[in-house]
Formats: sequence, C-alpha cells, structure tokens
Amino acid sequence: MVGKVFSNVASNYDLMNDFMSGGLHRLWKDRLVSKLSPFPGMKHLDVAGGTGDVAFRILESVNSIKRRALQDPLNDDLQEETRIYVCDINPNMLDVGKNRALEKGLGEDKSLVWVQGDAEALSFEDNSMDGYTIAFGIRNVTHIEKVLSEAYRVLKRGGRFLCLELSHVDIPVFKELYDFYSFSVIPRLGEIVAGDRESYQYLVESIRRFPPQEKFASMIADAGFQKVEYENLVGGVVAIHSGLKI
Amino acid sequence: MYRTVVNRILLTKNTGGGRRCLLRFPDLRTAVSSSRFSTTTEPQTFPNRPLNPADSSTSSSSTSFQTSSAAGDIPRQERKNPRAEYQGEQARVLQASLRHVLRLGWSEEAMIAGAKEVGISPSIVGSFPRKEAALVEFFMDDCLQRLIDRIDSGEELQDLIPSQCIYKLVRFRLEMQAPYISKWPQALSIQAHPLNVSTSFKQRAMLVDEIWHAAGDEASDLDWYVKRTVLGGIYSTTEIYMLTDSSPEFRDTWLFLDNRVKDAFDLKKTIQEVFSPSIPFPLFF
Repeated sequence: MVGKVFSNVASNYDLMNDFMSGGLHRLWKDRLVSKLSPFPGMKHLDVAGGTGDVAFRILESVNSIKRRALQDPLNDDLQEETRIYVCDINPNMLDVGKNRALEKGLGEDKSLVWVQGDAEALSFEDNSMDGYTIAFGIRNVTHIEKVLSEAYRVLKRGGRFLCLELSHVDIPVFKELYDFYSFSVIPRLGEIVAGDRESYQYLVESIRRFPPQEKFASMIADAGFQKVEYENLVGGVVAIHSGLKI
Repeated sequence: MYRTVVNRILLTKNTGGGRRCLLRFPDLRTAVSSSRFSTTTEPQTFPNRPLNPADSSTSSSSTSFQTSSAAGDIPRQERKNPRAEYQGEQARVLQASLRHVLRLGWSEEAMIAGAKEVGISPSIVGSFPRKEAALVEFFMDDCLQRLIDRIDSGEELQDLIPSQCIYKLVRFRLEMQAPYISKWPQALSIQAHPLNVSTSFKQRAMLVDEIWHAAGDEASDLDWYVKRTVLGGIYSTTEIYMLTDSSPEFRDTWLFLDNRVKDAFDLKKTIQEVFSPSIPFPLFF
C-alpha cells in the first residue's frame, strides 16, 4: 500500500506538500536541519527522504560560506569527507531526488549518495553515522520500533536522531479547524492537483493513527536513546523529536 | 542564601569527606510535572527510562519511573543510570573543548574539536541547547567549583579581615580566567546575549554570594543585597579592566582591585558615620 501510494504521488510530491502546508513545510525542514547542526566531514543518513529536501539543506549548511570561514584550519580537507546518504524504499522518489540534484548542479557532487533501502532493515554498518533524520516518513512504516532500533544501531556514540513528523494537536478550537482542514480540504486538493483522492485520504488517516508526541517520545527512549525531547511547531501540527545516542 | 540552597537541595551523594559539589548544568527548564507535555516552542526533556533509580547527581527531575524492561536486546547491566550518563559525556566533551578555546574561540568549532578529542561524534554539539553558551557556562561553573574548593581547604581565610579576604578570593577567581584572556571578550559577549543573560546572571550571583559567605557575612536584610551588588560591581569592573591590562602577571589589575575594595569599605564606613547617632541631628543641615 505504502509503495503504491508513493509511486502515485512521487511526481507531484513536492507540489502537493506546498499546497497542503501553505509552503510551511520548507520552514519546518529548515528548523529540522538547524537543530541537527551539521558539520563538515559528517556522515549523515536521511531516511525516507526520497526527493532530497532535507539532504540538500544539510549539504548547503555544511558548504555555506559562513561555515567555511569559521572552519578549523587544521581540518581543511574535511569538506570532502562529508557524506549524506539518502535512503528511500521507493525508487521513483529517489529518481525525483536525483533529478532535482542535477537541476541544482549537484549531480557530480560525491557527498550525496542515493540508496534504495528499507528503514526497518538498513544496509549500513553499526556505529557509522553521525546523524539520522527521518522527515515525514516514520508515519508510513509498518513497525516503528524496528525503525527506531535500526536508527540506534547505525548511529555512532554522540550521534543524534531527529524525526520531523505530523503529529497531534490538542489546542481546543484549533484542533477542530485542523480536523476540518484535514478531512475535507486535503483529499479534495489531492483530487484536483494530483488526481488521486485515495492516497491523500490515506495520508490524513495515517496522521491520526500515529502515536501522540509523548507516546512516540517514550518509544524513542525505549530504543535506547537518551535526552529525548520534542518540539511542537504550529501548535502540534508538526513535531520534531530528537534523541541522543550515548 | 544561595549557598544554603545549594547545600540543601543539590548536595549529591558523591560528596565524600564534606566536600561540596556544585551541580553542573542546572537544567532550569526541565519541569517536574506529572504530565511532562510540551505545548510551547521550548523542548521539554522526556525523562529517560532508567532500569535503576536515577542517581541523585541529577537534580532536575528526580521522578525516576520504573517501567518493566520491554526493550529486551540491551542487557540490564549496561543501562545503569542512563540519564546521568549523557550529562557526564557532555561534561567530558566540554572539558576537552576548553583546551581548544584559545585557538578557536568560544565557538562550535572548539566544541567539535573537543568532541573529536574525546572520541564522540561531533553531532553531540547539536544537543547543547545554546551551544557556545553551554561551553562558557560550563567554564563558569567549573571556576566556581574550584573557588569553593579553595575556600573549603583554605584555613587562613578566617583570620583575614573581610576586605582582605574579598581581595584574595576575587583575585584567585580572576586568575582562573587569565589563560583565556585573549578570548574572554568573546565569552563576555556570549554571556550578555539576551538568551543567555539569565543564566550568566545567576552564575555571577552565586559567585558573589560564595565570596561574601567566605568573608564571614551574616547579613539577612537589605544589607545582603547591597553587599552583593557592590561586590558584583567590583568583580565586573576588575574583570573588564583585566581585558586591557598588559602588565606582567596583571599587576595593574590587582592594584585596581585593591583600590576598589578599599573604596567600597571606606564608603561603608562613611555611610555608617553619617547615620550614626554620635553626630547631632541639626548639624546635617
């Protein structure tokens, strides 16, 4: 089901994201990357990041002029060692990502590595990643615990896990407005823009099924992470959970 | 007042032989509430799952909740006090980062270098809420701890008159900053940043309180505030004077400090004389 949904939505994914969130998803991803605080020479894994939004932001942050000006002069060649692995279960999403990279002029950049894989069974080695992000992906997996324990496995000591996901809203009036928007407006938008009502209906229902902030935080802690925190954006429409592996 | 608070609430089980230990990273934002929810933009720390009761070396949240071991893969022995662990690792990273400050400043780069030195992924730097400020605050706490150790072990301080005692202690404290003096203006500007001002103010208040307490102060009324404010002023002005002092071993700074301390005590005497009952009232006017 998930595979089919994303094959359907792949080509319109970014456009629909813009429509549904009113462009806010860009800010959310910016916030995610600034929380991550990337550094040159970092090995990062972005899971379910098919179209590359988060990966591009991280690469830009690492390569930014400001960052380079402040760099430790003894470690100048670290820039080349940066590796950002973009892993996605769906090859169509990866293709969209690769095309976008070409458009941005990053086609030859060896820092970006596109890998097809399953979040529940990663092909990376233990203790190999400095950072792990999953943006709007964990909602779609079958076994959340497996994904979390895989994340724990591949991270190095001191590595951080960050998850950006649509979450639960508890604020009284806003909650009703959000529900109306989700169940009435979104599937209709999906029908008009992408020609696919069912996929977007699935999307909205999967948001409701996903555990609330506290429960998800406890699941992250169960996987072994420490300093588990979460930050609500837009009153809980989106939440960024983070954990540290020590 | 601060000192008694520190003693009562934050005294850790680790202190043997009456040595007081100041808590590092007083996590002021971790609310010990039963709901533990976050609805604001400030992240709420979710208490970790300790398999043993949390060590009292963490003061913030003492609600250790004993849940049954569901995550079976990690053996029980390895999960001792996981909550205390990450703070210990963070402290190690910060300690190592201090060695890079002279070269790289009070910055993320110094912290990244520190993390690499200790063998931990530099990603941990992202987990400090206010990055450079965390490093500066760690240093301030460390200095305060060393000052307390000195006060505890120094018997001769009790024999000195208050002004001399204060001079000695302020000088001792400022000498700890001497190795970093070339980068200290950066540290001061970090401390003055609106986000960091409240923490740095608290740290300085504790510092000033400790020094007065060591000098034998027992005031508990308005005098308490006046004394601490005055000492705060002396300390800050001397600290800033030190930034531009190029005399050997900061001789000029200590001279400056000595004069300021004398001024303060003279002023106190003057005020006491003015308001003492020995001067007949009409002579004022």
